[in-house]
Amino acid sequence: MNRLLAAAAGLMFLWGAQPSGAAELRALVKDHRGKLIANAVILAAPLDAKSAQRAKPPADAVDQVDKQFVPYVKPVFVGSKVLFPNSDHVRHQVYSFSPAKRFELPLYAGTNAPPVVFDKPGVVVLGCNIHDWMVGYIYVSETPYFAKTESAGTAAIDAMPPGEYTVRVWHPSMEQGEETTARRVILNADGPSTLEWELSLKPALRVPRVTGSASGGYP
Amino acid sequence: MERGQPSAATLGAIAALVVLCAMPYAARSEWTLGAAAVLRHDNNVGNAESPPDIVGDSAIDARLSVFQLFPLGESYSVTVGGDLNGEAFRRLTGLNNASLDGTISLKKKWGLGAFAPWARAGVSVGRSSYDDSYRNAWNYRATLASGRRVDERWNFWAEYAFDRRAASPRMEEVPGLSGDAFSQDSHNVAVNLEYSLNENTFLALSLLGRRGDVVSTTGESEKINYAPRALAQDPAFGPEAYAYKLIGTTYGFRLGVNYAPTPHSLLGLGFERLNTHADGGNSYTKSVPEITWDYRF
Repeated sequence: MNRLLAAAAGLMFLWGAQPSGAAELRALVKDHRGKLIANAVILAAPLDAKSAQRAKPPADAVDQVDKQFVPYVKPVFVGSKVLFPNSDHVRHQVYSFSPAKRFELPLYAGTNAPPVVFDKPGVVVLGCNIHDWMVGYIYVSETPYFAKTESAGTAAIDAMPPGEYTVRVWHPSMEQGEETTARRVILNADGPSTLEWELSLKPALRVPRVTGSASGGYP
Repeated sequence: MERGQPSAATLGAIAALVVLCAMPYAARSEWTLGAAAVLRHDNNVGNAESPPDIVGDSAIDARLSVFQLFPLGESYSVTVGGDLNGEAFRRLTGLNNASLDGTISLKKKWGLGAFAPWARAGVSVGRSSYDDSYRNAWNYRATLASGRRVDERWNFWAEYAFDRRAASPRMEEVPGLSGDAFSQDSHNVAVNLEYSLNENTFLALSLLGRRGDVVSTTGESEKINYAPRALAQDPAFGPEAYAYKLIGTTYGFRLGVNYAPTPHSLLGLGFERLNTHADGGNSYTKSVPEITWDYRF
């Protein structure tokens, strides 16, 4: 009896995990040395524009923990409202100069800051005017089908309508242009399709957090 | 050490205890805590000219700091802080000292972000206590600094500082010549450049200039006797050592390479070279290699 129940539960899980008729894309991203890359954004844009419509962009959040943006990279769908809660015990002043979204949240603590609407596709670089080393990225995607790689370099986008897509990758440190990574693929409901990319990354340069006692930096 | 006065080590231990007790509170507040340690070797601690008088020694320096930044709108911020410092020499133990400093500074940024130009004015007041207590002094410092991070790789700033060190008054050793050899005024300038090699490593170069009082400790010397503004015995260097206060000009540089093993800490290797030309034709040089560690909570 227990075996029957377990088998039924397994079938229900599989049914729920993959909606009938939906396609799934799996991605693996490495650097030129074969090291798996986290924080790469995979974007799948359907050639049929109707497939890209989504009723309401979800609300998202980029936290500030230990004077860092968490997560470091956050992909959102265009039109999304993003909250910037501050989990630190110090105040932050979040800003961006990026053409995709210029904004500034005056000094605040806790969760008092109003959400910011990201209504234009592109890369938004985040900073804090008090803590110069804080940097984060919001990738505003024009397609609702996106995912971000984890430390294993993998990402998965599911519940996609079958069809033809242009799939590309973006990473904050990539040397080549995002468009050079574009690939056309046909996704169907037969099973997940897997794509791999190898990116050349520039050395990451960030403003040092601890600059020594003689430095002219913070504070 | 004069009887009845607490030693530098005792003062340091008491102050460290106070700071450590305050840490749990400070960690929950907007106060930022820092700790640093420096191991250095100075090949001419006494600023002497002639080889027989030149004394080199190694020292370890430990510092606890606490500060809070108060943003005043978008452009200005005030920083209030304090440092507790302890320094111990391997051989010249009379120079072991502890100091406590308080600092306030006002910073202006022209614009938002890491690459906005900035300027800062600050003052600090502190008290240092030595094992050889005749060096005990109040320390005053006024600074003006300005700079700009050009991009993620290059950072540039310059600083002017006026330093005043007011030591305890001393009797004249030579009639008509002040015995206040350990009080000093000086004007200091530094031009600093940092270059990031990668996310965790940066090089630092400072060009240094100084004009003002210097203290040169030597045996009795006819040459130096013509120039001093003050003279005092300096038993930290031996029973026959005298500290001569002169006016001098110093030029030098400091080179360093710094590596951040974690986001909160920084390890550094540095080398400082200073050349001083003082009144009476007295010139001396010193080289100071050092290893540094900084931690910011």
